[in-house]
Amino acid sequence: MMRFKEQNNDPQGTTHEGQSSIREALGIITPLFLRHKKRLLAGFIAVIVVDLLQLIIPRFIKQGVDSLAQEGATEHSLFILAVTIFIAACIVAGFRFFWRYLLIGFSRILEKSVRDQLFRHILAMDQQFFGRWTTGDLIAHSSNDLNAIQMACGMGLVAASDAVFMSVAAICFMVAISGELTLYALFPMPFLALSTKYLSGHLHRRFNKVQEQFSQLTEFARNTIVSIRLIKAYTLEKLQNKQFDQLGREYVRSNLRVALIQGTMFPTATFVGNIGMLLVLYKGGTMVVNQQISLGDFVAFTTYLSLLIWPIMAVGWVTNVAQRGLTSLQRIQRLLSEQPKVKCQPQADLPEADQITFHCRNLSFTYPGEARQVLENVTLDITPGILGITGRTGSGKSTLCKVLLRMYPVGDGMLNLNEIDVNDLDIKYVRNHIAYVAQEPILFSHSISENITFGRQDATDEDVYKAARAAAIHEDILRLPGGYDAVIGERGVKLSGGQRQRLALARALLCDRPMLVIDDGLNAIDVETEQQVLLGIHSAFQNKTVVIVSHRVNVLETADCIVVMENGKIAAQGTHDELLAQPLYKVMVSKQQNNAR
Amino acid sequence: MRGSFGYTEKGEEGRVNDFGLWRRILTYCRRYKIPLAVAVLLSFVVTFCSLMLPRIMQEGIDGYMAQSHLEISARILGLQHLAVVYGVLVCCIFLTNFVQIVLLEWIGQSVMHKLRKQLFDHLVHLDLAFFNEHRAGQLVTRLTNDIQNMHEMFTSVMVTLFNDALKLVGIFCLLYLMNARLALLMTLFVPLAFFITRQFAHYARKVFRQIRSQLAKINSFLAEALQAIDIIQLFGRHDWAEKTYTDLTDEYLQRNLKQVSIFGFFMPLTELMSSGAVALILWYGGGEVLRSRLSLGELVAFLSYMRLFFQPLRELSQKYSIVQSAMASAERIFHLLDTKSHLHFPVWKQAVALDGDVNFSGIVFGYSASKLVFNGLDLHIKKGESVALVGSTGAGKTTLIQLLARFYDPHAGNITLNDVDIRTIPLPILRQTVGLIMQDIFILPGTVQENIILDQPLDKEKLDRILQQTGLEVFIGRLSNGLQTQIGEGFSELSVGEKQLLSFVRALYRDPVILVLDEATASIDTESENLLEEAVAAGFSNKTSLIIAHRLSTVRRVDRIVVMDQGRIVEQGSHEELMSTDSLYSNLVTLDLKNSMK
Ligand SMILES: Nc1ncnc2c1ncn2[C@@H]1O[C@H](COP(=O)(O)OP(=O)(O)O)[C@@H](O)[C@H]1O
Ligand SMILES: Nc1ncnc2c1ncn2[C@@H]1O[C@H](COP(=O)(O)OP(=O)(O)O)[C@@H](O)[C@H]1O
Ligand SMILES: [Mg+2]
Ligand SMILES: [Mg+2]
Repeated sequence: MMRFKEQNNDPQGTTHEGQSSIREALGIITPLFLRHKKRLLAGFIAVIVVDLLQLIIPRFIKQGVDSLAQEGATEHSLFILAVTIFIAACIVAGFRFFWRYLLIGFSRILEKSVRDQLFRHILAMDQQFFGRWTTGDLIAHSSNDLNAIQMACGMGLVAASDAVFMSVAAICFMVAISGELTLYALFPMPFLALSTKYLSGHLHRRFNKVQEQFSQLTEFARNTIVSIRLIKAYTLEKLQNKQFDQLGREYVRSNLRVALIQGTMFPTATFVGNIGMLLVLYKGGTMVVNQQISLGDFVAFTTYLSLLIWPIMAVGWVTNVAQRGLTSLQRIQRLLSEQPKVKCQPQADLPEADQITFHCRNLSFTYPGEARQVLENVTLDITPGILGITGRTGSGKSTLCKVLLRMYPVGDGMLNLNEIDVNDLDIKYVRNHIAYVAQEPILFSHSISENITFGRQDATDEDVYKAARAAAIHEDILRLPGGYDAVIGERGVKLSGGQRQRLALARALLCDRPMLVIDDGLNAIDVETEQQVLLGIHSAFQNKTVVIVSHRVNVLETADCIVVMENGKIAAQGTHDELLAQPLYKVMVSKQQNNAR
Repeated sequence: MRGSFGYTEKGEEGRVNDFGLWRRILTYCRRYKIPLAVAVLLSFVVTFCSLMLPRIMQEGIDGYMAQSHLEISARILGLQHLAVVYGVLVCCIFLTNFVQIVLLEWIGQSVMHKLRKQLFDHLVHLDLAFFNEHRAGQLVTRLTNDIQNMHEMFTSVMVTLFNDALKLVGIFCLLYLMNARLALLMTLFVPLAFFITRQFAHYARKVFRQIRSQLAKINSFLAEALQAIDIIQLFGRHDWAEKTYTDLTDEYLQRNLKQVSIFGFFMPLTELMSSGAVALILWYGGGEVLRSRLSLGELVAFLSYMRLFFQPLRELSQKYSIVQSAMASAERIFHLLDTKSHLHFPVWKQAVALDGDVNFSGIVFGYSASKLVFNGLDLHIKKGESVALVGSTGAGKTTLIQLLARFYDPHAGNITLNDVDIRTIPLPILRQTVGLIMQDIFILPGTVQENIILDQPLDKEKLDRILQQTGLEVFIGRLSNGLQTQIGEGFSELSVGEKQLLSFVRALYRDPVILVLDEATASIDTESENLLEEAVAAGFSNKTSLIIAHRLSTVRRVDRIVVMDQGRIVEQGSHEELMSTDSLYSNLVTLDLKNSMK
């Protein structure tokens, strides 16, 4: 049933994108490579030293064996040789440590830096961005993709340089013995290159699919757990089980498809190496028999060829890792290249305003990617005092609040804050003047006091209590086990709906900003408490601008001006008494005020 | 903010020698006995073939190349034969490897799929108290990453581990056959290798756990920050979020660097040991050659096999840590599987008709033992009666209906439907009977229609009727694809009121016997609310309903109003009755009408 969003922001053909995008993607990490160039240089030198010594140690052994064969060896010379080998091995171990620490460590530093950059970027994005990238996507980017990049820049890079160096060295030694035999030994190599290229392309695609299904599985599990109350109340356990099973099956199938490729790819490398050995056995053997090369040369040749086996095996792995790293980097680059659509061209540093006035002039608004206009030619002055907004469900009340808070872009000349077009103001400037209570309270899984002080860190306990009292939640908090230090669970599950709303309200009240926007944030609060809260707001926001969205007459009645919205337009505007004749308002008033009869 | 993000991962040790755990893991493989046996057999083949290759090479050198007294054509013919055998072995290795990889992946994936399914099934049946205490992210990790960890052990490790061990033993035997004294000398390295491996595993495990818990912190902070991104931006807390995040990643980096150091220190050690062994053999073995107690050929062969000997040893120590983390994951998974739901699930021997007579008697309940929400609450709702619950927030209204839907069981007292204790009613039947519209709104990713019908069969006519009655039709008409519009995170959003309407329709579509509305119209305008009330009146006129609302006008029409305060029922009666006395309710109504500010 529940289908998942197609990865519209993540088209499959990433690998086929032009060179320019690869360059741009690399642009993310090149500065880091430059910044750490000394470290990298030292690391690569360590790799080369290790490789050189590794090539030399066998020569010591050979020397020992030869000396034994020529009967020139003594106990003493053998001992010296053994000690030399051991010392060389110690040096190798030391340098191994260094390259690991320098190069792999670098990849970790790089990972952190990209991770931080990503988060910083995400923080600056607007609602439109979050409409397109879900939480799941973003978490996947900052875990899987960063892993792939770290792998490519760490082990991938080391393995690549190591493989190149080792194979060049081994081939040089081999050529020195016999060019012809080297040709034979390397004869199967092009085959390896071709098959690797072919297979890694497939592997890449299939692997992407696996990753995608893994995140679908994760998303599904997460959604199920987050909505567990719905699942239980409507006994959807079976349904969810079935769907989870389905997703799991598909995941297994994709994994098997990957295994088919991997099962071919890795044995192929061994196969090719072994075939090389086979050719050397036959051809080299024949050459020995024909006395073209000596037996010693033959043995040495096979030793060098065995040195080549590792780089050969590494080729497949390295291409795989590198390609995945690059794809991930491109994905991240695409994310980083997103720009917030909310215009923000700060003209000059403005002083903090202590009064806020908004003027909407023919404000129209359409949600990105939708055709329908949600706000249509709204013309409205929001001045100090209380503005009540009411209207049909879906008429655009919340949208208006969000637009005021600069969560979505608006056209030029449509919205002025204190006579300045908001597009000419810093978003932070606008937001710093507004405290907001959302329709659905968003809380953190921290303690109550941490939640309340979220908007103002320097608040004293007294301030916190004051805000809590104004939001009429102080008594409730004291009754909770732990009081202000009570931890409220994920999304505040341990509180009742009304308590959550008032906590969000207290958080906004504590901010003490010149404007307050309450988007229907009192609807789960009982009448008695509501009156207290309204009193609290009244006393705290004298001479300030307050916008309250509500469906309750007694909330609206306190407002200096009431706006009735319908279908994105302002249907009527006036005081409570003036609006009594307005049809929508009349229905509301007559229902809610006829109670006393 | 000094939050610990509430995240503490229980630090399972991941003991590799926990046989009970192994046995439990293996029970999942029982069905795959034969494929597993085949995989093991293939291991023997691969090991045998791989060990044969050097021998053939040796044979080529000793038997033909070095035999200069033989005829050239005969030597070349011999080499050809060897080459053919070599080729056959190489192909054999290729094929066996391929089959083994695919077979293992298949077994591993199937077993993990089974385990994952079982875990998910177990999880969705746990009670809500469990979910209140556990973070979603943590539970998701069990289902995905922990299973993945175990899978890795299954495929890449379990059999290669076996392969390596087999190789080790094989080489050891060969060495012993070749020269017992030298082999004995080599044996000295075995305890050393084990010691190093154990040490390595110890440190690696510690740092690995630190890294994991830090990563979990990073991810749970990220998830929470993303979910609350609006609030962070609107309250201007970018700097805090960034600082907290970079602090977390800083610590993560430090721990990773520590891991790099530990690996950097231990990984070269086995290599060093191998070179040390070579040096020792060269010195001692060379001496033996000098003393003519060993032939040069033997020494050379010995040296070459030794290289082969240390390679699996190194792999073993690396894989040990994978096994360890898999064991830790297994422990966590099984721990979760062993967590029992506090509710038990009855099955019905004999069906009873439930037509909506609800009785709460002597209910005692609290989310934590220290703080009770109800201490002896009684409430009887007759069949067909409509009852409203009003009262201050936190009075326990939601809790009461959650008890009715049996999200929790009361500590004492009981709830009955038609005199049947709800603890004896199968949950699906109970929850089909009680149609609950919750205070929190839940939307599953999917289309509007899917969100309404959920697991019920599609009855287009009924759906259209309900949509029309409730007035949701108008809203759906505005959506780009009507009923087929995708909603949920990442798709177009509905307004909160629209979502509430949708929850309403969702409940009505299931034809419940008892309709329970928990502030289900709080975000809806009065006109739409009136429509809903009419829809309910039309479809539910003679059914039981329980309505929680703060807008007192909403509850006027009900037969009985129950006023609650701090878990107690303060008063009850019809609107008229309550209004005619000096009741709390009448005070509330007056308060509601009179504007306190004017
Ligand atoms: N993020 C969004 N993307 C697309 N459409 C939206 C989004 N949020 C709201 N809408 C649509 O815009 C309309 C107005 O929504 P809203 O302002 O939330 O209504 P309300 O007046 O009930 O607060 C609704 O019809 C809703 O479906
Ligand atoms: N999951 C929970 N864990 C702990 N305490 C809870 C939980 N849910 C609610 N509570 C507490 O129980 C009391 C009653 O809550 P609730 O029934 O939701 O109130 P309401 O009458 O507003 O619906 C409140 O004090 C609330 O803090
Ligand atoms: Mg709204
Ligand atoms: Mg409630």
